[in-house]
Amino acid sequence: MEKFVFFGGKGGVGKTTVSSAYALKCAEAGLKTLVVSTDPAHSTSDVFDQDFDDEPTPVDGHEGLWAMELDPEEEVERHMGEIRRRMNEQVSAAIVNEIDRQIELAHRTPGAYEAALFDRFIEVMREADDYDRVVFDTSPTGGTLRLLALPDFLGEWIERLVAKRAKSVDLFEKAAVGDREARRKLDEDPLIAHLQGRKEKFEFAGRTLREDAAFFLVLNPDELSIRETERAVAEMAEQDLAVEGFVVNRVTPAPDDDEQGRGATWLRDRVETERERIAEIRREFDEPVVAEIESRVREVKGDLLAAVADELAIDVDPPPAEA
Amino acid sequence: MTDGDRSLADRIASFRERVEEWLHGFYHGMIEHPSFEKIEKEAEDVEDTFLFACFADAFGIPSPVSYYTVELLPYLADEFEAWERRMWDRGSLLERKGQQYHFH
Repeated sequence: MEKFVFFGGKGGVGKTTVSSAYALKCAEAGLKTLVVSTDPAHSTSDVFDQDFDDEPTPVDGHEGLWAMELDPEEEVERHMGEIRRRMNEQVSAAIVNEIDRQIELAHRTPGAYEAALFDRFIEVMREADDYDRVVFDTSPTGGTLRLLALPDFLGEWIERLVAKRAKSVDLFEKAAVGDREARRKLDEDPLIAHLQGRKEKFEFAGRTLREDAAFFLVLNPDELSIRETERAVAEMAEQDLAVEGFVVNRVTPAPDDDEQGRGATWLRDRVETERERIAEIRREFDEPVVAEIESRVREVKGDLLAAVADELAIDVDPPPAEA
Repeated sequence: MTDGDRSLADRIASFRERVEEWLHGFYHGMIEHPSFEKIEKEAEDVEDTFLFACFADAFGIPSPVSYYTVELLPYLADEFEAWERRMWDRGSLLERKGQQYHFH
């Protein structure tokens, strides 16, 4: 199994439960495991009955398991603060005031939230040397897919910006004949250096997602969930990202044969429909179903989590030793 | 936070088209007959388009990359401020473009 494992899917299908259970399974198999929640409505805290923040924190009572919750909102603020700080260091106060509006604006655009989250993803992946496995509990499908499509688009975009900037700097150098000092110089241009740095980050992300990451989609045995999954698989294929398998969650448990009440009849009907759906999933998709997890009456936490972990037929073998 | 049905990737693509169109119209055929003065002017113009590509949202065109390009502002503050003033002020922009052709 790859070092980075992503669980995605529609909102409310139980991604947090499944990813926490898988992380627990890895930790119990002796892997140092970090579970990263990127869902703004963090529920990792509820699963483990413990508060987590932006720093990996050991999970109480579980050897070898760490958890962290990313807050894109906070990251956007931090990013903005950092830019303001650097501005104040380098530029006169009058100019800073003029430009402040732009800084504010850039951090209020719809893409800012995604960009911030993506930055944190990259950082977590870069600093994951201490862990054998990192499990990402990603936010609902649409957002996740957009995130995963970013590296290519941004890489190309930045390439063009660098080319444009290089051209203007080059022209400035050409214009500086004789004793005249060029107004800008290519090899000391901080902008180009910065953009190149960005580009390398995106390339790292693209490479890591393609080579060291496995993706699982969580779904429920209902029509809506199946259609959404279909779209997700197609979109991910477009990005060259292979889905390793599906986890069918919230499967209704069947009543015992001797139960005949109204409730039992209802359940039997329900189970019947769901069986068809699951058969449909197995038939229509190339990807294997790696687990069918029954609905639990109580919230999944504590011992229940371990039980769910047992139902996951996703292997936990450590990633192949790095060359 | 959502941004409708269009994916970020789509928005980046269409934004890029818009910028390219803009560049094309604005700077068509300005590289001939170089003189040093002209080269420097040209350099400034390319720099203007660079700034535009980075900060188009300053003019109400939503830029999907502005979160990243705003990181460049600490290096660009003076240029940015002058550029923004120039771009908002139609009169000065036309005058500036006119200068290169030595009509007088």
